[in-house]
Amino acid sequence: METTQYLIETKELCKQFKDNLVLKSISKTISRGEKVVIVGPSGSGKSTFLRCLNLLEIPTSGEVWFEGKLLTGASEQEIDRLRAKMGMVFQQFNLFPHMTVEGNITLAPIKLGLMDERQAKDRAKELLSRISLLDKLDAYPSQLSGGQKQRVAIVRALAMNPDVMLFDEPTSALDPEMVGEVLDFMHALADDGMTMVVVSHEMGFAREVATRMMFMDDGKVLEEAPPTEFFGNPQNPRLQNFLSQVL
Amino acid sequence: MFEDIPGQIYRTLIQDNRWLVLMDGLLVTLMVAGIAIVLGIVIGALVAIAKVNVVYSGRMKWLGVICEIYTTVIRGTPVVVQLLIMYFIIFGAASDKMAPYVGALAFGINSGAYVSEVIRAGIMSIDRGQMEAGRSLGLPRNITMRSIILPQAFKNVLPALGNEFIVLIKETSVLGFIAVTDLTMAAQLIRSRTFDAFIPLILTALIYLGIVLLFTWALKKLEKKLAESDAR
Ligand SMILES: Nc1ncnc2c1ncn2[C@@H]1O[C@H](COP(=O)(O)OP(=O)(O)OP(=O)(O)O)[C@@H](O)[C@H]1O
Ligand SMILES: [Mg+2]
Repeated sequence: METTQYLIETKELCKQFKDNLVLKSISKTISRGEKVVIVGPSGSGKSTFLRCLNLLEIPTSGEVWFEGKLLTGASEQEIDRLRAKMGMVFQQFNLFPHMTVEGNITLAPIKLGLMDERQAKDRAKELLSRISLLDKLDAYPSQLSGGQKQRVAIVRALAMNPDVMLFDEPTSALDPEMVGEVLDFMHALADDGMTMVVVSHEMGFAREVATRMMFMDDGKVLEEAPPTEFFGNPQNPRLQNFLSQVL
Repeated sequence: MFEDIPGQIYRTLIQDNRWLVLMDGLLVTLMVAGIAIVLGIVIGALVAIAKVNVVYSGRMKWLGVICEIYTTVIRGTPVVVQLLIMYFIIFGAASDKMAPYVGALAFGINSGAYVSEVIRAGIMSIDRGQMEAGRSLGLPRNITMRSIILPQAFKNVLPALGNEFIVLIKETSVLGFIAVTDLTMAAQLIRSRTFDAFIPLILTALIYLGIVLLFTWALKKLEKKLAESDAR
């Protein structure tokens, strides 16, 4: 039986690229069901932090724990296994262009032996009908709009039944008219109880969905608060300055 | 040279069933080229993956060094010399029956060096987001490479690979150096019997041209098929 452990915990997490210290000892926890939205100026380390959570980026020092297991220092196989429980959505979608929508969604569950082909295909259909894209089952990514691509990318991650979803600016590469459909889908996921960590500039979405806001600047988390406080009564001058620019 | 074309054709092809010699030569050429192409793809892909992995992971540097030596030596020496070394030194002048296979091995190893560079360039051309997307789904590195990166890389470099293999097919015409009767050698044999040069050599050239055109056509078909996912 699991104790009251955190879903994700970082301890003194540091990341350095050459002589550029990008994350400066971040110790944070994320519990099941939380929706954490991270904001901050460009280059502040938001993506790097997110990518360290599933070890796409190897931390220079410090620890990352996931579901009570130490990711940093785990074996390759163990990392792969735990990563499968952490869905990730990228700014550039990163769909597999040589595969159909169905192929994109079913590849990992089948290759990892989590589902047989039948089950994986059924799951793909179920998820696609949820976003009204069942008719795109046999389409290739190049035949989809940006908004459709990103929703398929989210579905691809969901097909693995992850325990947490990580989003790195999921709407930044979209035409404005397509942002809504992606945010709506993410909103619905949040309502279903999915644990989410989202890097985003969509403040409206953050206000509505976040249970906790994080402000990152210069490799550190400078402020954390529920959205009402975060937007209504920011403490850190840098956050005040940041908010005055983006709102 | 052009006199008595009908007589030349008769002596070159029909007399003593010489067309059979040409046919056997053609089959040897096709077989050697076919084996060499398969070997070239396998060796080339393995070496390319090894090189990319070493660069990416920073581990097993010795493997990277071996691969580098392999491509440098092969690309820096003439294929005829490689063929002779393979036949006379490594296999100590193998039997007549084995000679075509020794030749195929030499050409395959030769081709692998060029193919590895082509495939490596193809792998490098794939956006790193593809590897990250695969890994973020929990796929191990090797499966991501095999199912996601390589198919795209292969598709991108298919025209360049095709060129390599066209060169290879024509390069097999030096098989005579190790006493293999390929198409070119067959024509030479006939020429030395009939003392007619025109028809044997022109015919041989036309047959090579035909093979290359056929190969090019098949490649175009394959490219078209693989381009399905680019449809808009
Ligand atoms: N692979 C890398 N190699 C070298 N430096 C990197 C790499 N990835 C990120 N950086 C550097 O780390 C710093 C933080 O980058 P990061 O992408 O985490 O910022 P961000 O907050 O996500 O910015 P943005 O809002 O522009 O996406 C930047 O200075 C960036 O140049
Ligand atoms: Mg970023």
